[in-house]
Amino acid sequence: MRFELLADLRTLRRGWHWSGPRPGGWPEAQPGVPDRASNLGWARTEPVRSARWLIQNGLALPFTRMMAHPRVQGGEWLEGLDRPAILAANHVSHADTQLLLYALPAATRERTVVAAAADYWYRRPWLGRVVSLWLNTFPFSRTGGPSEVLSSSSQLLKSGWNLLVYPEGTRSPDGRLQEFRPGVGHLATETRSPVIPLHHRGSHRIMAKGRRLPMPAPVTVRIGKPLTPVRGESSRAFAARVEEAVKGLAAGTREPAVVGSWIERWRAAEPRSSSRR
Amino acid sequence: MLAVQYVRSVPRYAVVRASGGNPAVATGQLSMLHLGDIEEPELPSRAWRRVLPNLSGICGSDTAAITGHASLYLDPLTSYPFVPGHEVAGRLEDGSRVVIEPALGCAVRGVEPRCARCAEGRPGLCENVTEGALPVGLQTGYCAGTGGGWGEVLVAHESQLHEIPPALTDEAAVLIEPLACCIHAALRGGAGPEDTVVVMGAGTIGLLTIAAIRHFTPPRRLLAVAKHGFQREQARRLGADAVIAPDEAFQRIRFATGARRLDGADRPLLLGGADLSFECTGSAGGLNAAVRFTRGGGRLVAVGMPGEERVDWAPIWQRELTVMGAYAYGVEAGGRSTFELALEAAPALDLGVLTGPLFGLADYRAAIAYAAAAGRLSAVKVAFDLRDLR
Amino acid sequence: MGRPGAVLEVDRNTPPTLFHYGEGVRLERLPLGSRILYPSDPIEPIAHAERAIRRALAHPLEDDPLRSLLRAGMRLTIAFDDLSLPLPPMAAPDVRQLVIEEVLEMAAEAGVDDVELIVATGLHRRMTGDEIRHVVGDRVFTTFWPDRLYNHDAEDPEGNVTIGVTSLDEPVTLNRRSAESDLVVYVNVTLVPMDGGHKSMATGLASYSGIAAHHNVRTLLGSRSYMHPPDSELHHSCIRQGKLIEDAVRVFHIETTVNNHAFPTIANFMQKRETDWTPADQATFLALKQLTDLAPAGVKRSIFHSMRAPYGLTGVHAGQVDQVHERSLDAVRRQMTVAVDGQTDIVTMGLPYLGPYNVNSILNPVLVVCLGLGYLFNLYRGRPVVREGGVVIMEHPCRYEFDSVQHPSYIDFYDEVLADTRDPAEIEKRYEQQFAEDPWYRQLFRKSHAYHGVHPFYAWYWAAHALQHLGDIIVVGGEREVVHRLGFKAASTLDDAFEIAEQTVGRWPSVTHLRTPPLLLAEVR
Repeated sequence: MRFELLADLRTLRRGWHWSGPRPGGWPEAQPGVPDRASNLGWARTEPVRSARWLIQNGLALPFTRMMAHPRVQGGEWLEGLDRPAILAANHVSHADTQLLLYALPAATRERTVVAAAADYWYRRPWLGRVVSLWLNTFPFSRTGGPSEVLSSSSQLLKSGWNLLVYPEGTRSPDGRLQEFRPGVGHLATETRSPVIPLHHRGSHRIMAKGRRLPMPAPVTVRIGKPLTPVRGESSRAFAARVEEAVKGLAAGTREPAVVGSWIERWRAAEPRSSSRR
Repeated sequence: MLAVQYVRSVPRYAVVRASGGNPAVATGQLSMLHLGDIEEPELPSRAWRRVLPNLSGICGSDTAAITGHASLYLDPLTSYPFVPGHEVAGRLEDGSRVVIEPALGCAVRGVEPRCARCAEGRPGLCENVTEGALPVGLQTGYCAGTGGGWGEVLVAHESQLHEIPPALTDEAAVLIEPLACCIHAALRGGAGPEDTVVVMGAGTIGLLTIAAIRHFTPPRRLLAVAKHGFQREQARRLGADAVIAPDEAFQRIRFATGARRLDGADRPLLLGGADLSFECTGSAGGLNAAVRFTRGGGRLVAVGMPGEERVDWAPIWQRELTVMGAYAYGVEAGGRSTFELALEAAPALDLGVLTGPLFGLADYRAAIAYAAAAGRLSAVKVAFDLRDLR
Repeated sequence: MGRPGAVLEVDRNTPPTLFHYGEGVRLERLPLGSRILYPSDPIEPIAHAERAIRRALAHPLEDDPLRSLLRAGMRLTIAFDDLSLPLPPMAAPDVRQLVIEEVLEMAAEAGVDDVELIVATGLHRRMTGDEIRHVVGDRVFTTFWPDRLYNHDAEDPEGNVTIGVTSLDEPVTLNRRSAESDLVVYVNVTLVPMDGGHKSMATGLASYSGIAAHHNVRTLLGSRSYMHPPDSELHHSCIRQGKLIEDAVRVFHIETTVNNHAFPTIANFMQKRETDWTPADQATFLALKQLTDLAPAGVKRSIFHSMRAPYGLTGVHAGQVDQVHERSLDAVRRQMTVAVDGQTDIVTMGLPYLGPYNVNSILNPVLVVCLGLGYLFNLYRGRPVVREGGVVIMEHPCRYEFDSVQHPSYIDFYDEVLADTRDPAEIEKRYEQQFAEDPWYRQLFRKSHAYHGVHPFYAWYWAAHALQHLGDIIVVGGEREVVHRLGFKAASTLDDAFEIAEQTVGRWPSVTHLRTPPLLLAEVR
């Protein structure tokens, strides 16, 4: 373990002569960075994103693996995804967000923002900053009307970020699913984004509502088939449909009871996305 | 005569124990040990001789007794006050050089008829150690009547005396007694030519056990577990095929024996393992490792003097181990005395390099502190040099 | 089209050079006049990977379209490379997933009921479920795991068959399910010229006796280098075996090649040439350097091993092995080749955190040797970059650190074998059999996730050519005791290393630095 910050700084400062000539005949470098989702808010800007990547991969994800050994089912639904989606999950404990981020594939995780209750997490500025840095949250008003909800979140969706929301609005006191609020329906119908139902079980044993310290416990996360609002469906009706889907996942009925050979199972797991043919 | 004497005292014992066996306390004002002028031991009968020690070793059992680590089991088998020292290379008044076989069995005590054990040729197990012309005591150096090596003069029965061949220096001869112990242990272990044998620990006992096994019962492979650099060198020189650091013992023994290794919550264990192990550290750590790396149905010989240790008996029970002690010498199978075997084997082993540094009796506190940390200080056998007292 | 690979001569204006240093990075100043070999920029990937795959399957090289080979009632086995390729593991979706999904789609249409997927691990460790899921994707995984998607088991006496002996008496063994299939589809990733071709089946699905026929010191000393198949005895042997396999089983070979975009955005500065660094790259370097200097090993490891490479597909070819492999090699060489004028006295290299055998694990000292002197040293065509009797200087922390789950036999190899001798031929003669037959290694290999007992031997043999060729090997920044056990010299700074090297190569030696990874193949003229 060495601390060499000053020496390294000196090397960097003296090492590069920006004004000096480049090696002769070398064409300029190409942009090495591929296009990425645009930035919205400081938590989505570059040094913060890299810092979050480090925090997540260095600490949070290994810790989650150690605490929960999450079993993830249905990751294939996130693979064929060709546009930003709303991830709707049940909410039991403060550990949920980290668990769900763990369950997402790396590419999806890096492009996911989390809706965090503005009146809870952002009441104190430092707390808001910490969760924004750690989990890529943005303040989400649960008291405001539909228009206020829409403005910030739909902007994020449109600029390429997936949005993780807890449509119940708050943590369930007993682990059972509560009624979904219609906001998720508004958002989906407004932005035409698919909604991916998520369900996780076991996080109440990690950190039940009211507990302060996490305890290890196994967790299962199920990811369901994406839903899109059908023409003419009201946002309330759609929200109810999402709720049904999450309940369905809770009951473990993600996979239709496939009988027969691998070919039937293969067909049943076909992604809905049109990118293939 | 000048001698270091050990007295029995419960308060002093309590002080030494309370200090955790710190050598400075265990040899200090409030310890059981004193240097002073005491009366010479008397000759119990005409069969006894006066012996003037030249060199006298400090044994692990001596430091254990001094630092309060020895088992209280030995207390009723000892008479106080005694002069310690049973690894003695000395000379008789006629000038001939001798080593002493310290066990005080029926023959030495003049008890007739001999007890069953002595009749078997195992005076170390004598049942008459309370009888005869001497006070209680298992061996010279733990008996109030004989004196010991840490004094100017001791007395010994004719049967205890073995002449030192001219090829052996005093430095080598002082290791004859421990070598005899180790030969006895090796013969009790009885390694076969196809066996893999592990010797745990490489102090005096460990190194001499390695030498004895190599000389008398050479196995297919002999592994030594040694902590310190000098010990590792000597272990290799005296015949170990491989020398292992304690923390890699399970890994290397597994490899040597092609066993399977399972990692438990506290310690690993081997399925399979060494056919025969010699425990030469006398510590709980060594014993607990040995019972886990000796194969099922294997044998484990305890050579180093253990105290009252916490040993996990589950492996002994489940692996159906044969655990045997190896205390002292006598007459081995084949009718030859262990000491004769030791005196024959010794010249080839160049034991002299293991002895040192030497201290005068007056420096007994430094000597014992040195002996207690011998391995770390690259010493094997620390001894008193009494030649310049005369 | 990105820039081709290049050789840069160090002058006063040249910025310091990046050295990988295990799970860390360093900037070093190379002596003026040294040459730095830069790999070419990633070549443009194929825009529509799925389309290219479908095209390759429909128009294979000297073979019938895959669709016409599939019929209901047949036995189909799909075998694919394990996670040792590519390095670092590819960001999802892995190219193997795309190919396998396409093959399965066709098999489903044709109504092939009996399909099994086998990870061609050879003597590598079994891959975990999650790792397989990463390679084949969720859909394949949920459909087939675990009964019809599993690791090859080279030590399963029932699961392997001997299918013959080559003209040079090399036994040829094959996974039983593959040998008894009507069609084997092999899906490969060719990252370096060593991979692919007949070697895929001849090692990936073979058992110990088949692999030992060419993974031995004699063969590897005859391979100059094994990164250039025409000059590689290893590959000649694999081809002999492969021909026999082709006679016994119908094989449809699919090879893919990727570009060298090995580092994700976060580590972009590793991908770029130092002259192109921006202040942002400097800042990232600085942050990463401080982090790796200060963070505990476990944290560093989980950060580095969670990097996934955004490789782009540059080619996909299907059909007969030989024709397919030729095309793949062309694509790989196009990406990797860098022309160099003449050999050099000293080659320097910074060894990264990852070699082929420590995905999600520790690069132990034996693997350090394998990576530096096995892989990087052999990345040449014609002659080695360093002259005979020259010096290689490697930077790596070289800690006494082993993964007891994945590399149990490596620990014993290091403690028992290297303590005794380092000569590959001696090692092979005296120890290989014992390691091959050790029941514990066999058990861990089959039931846990351990590499085969003899794998450390192969890692060492891989370096045999370099050990013979080089005059001296110096490790900068390594643990002294470990470096000495490996038989090398230890230096604490690069300058010290040059000082030590002068004893071997004389005053004012010529120096070449391999700025790799990303990987390059030096063509020495």
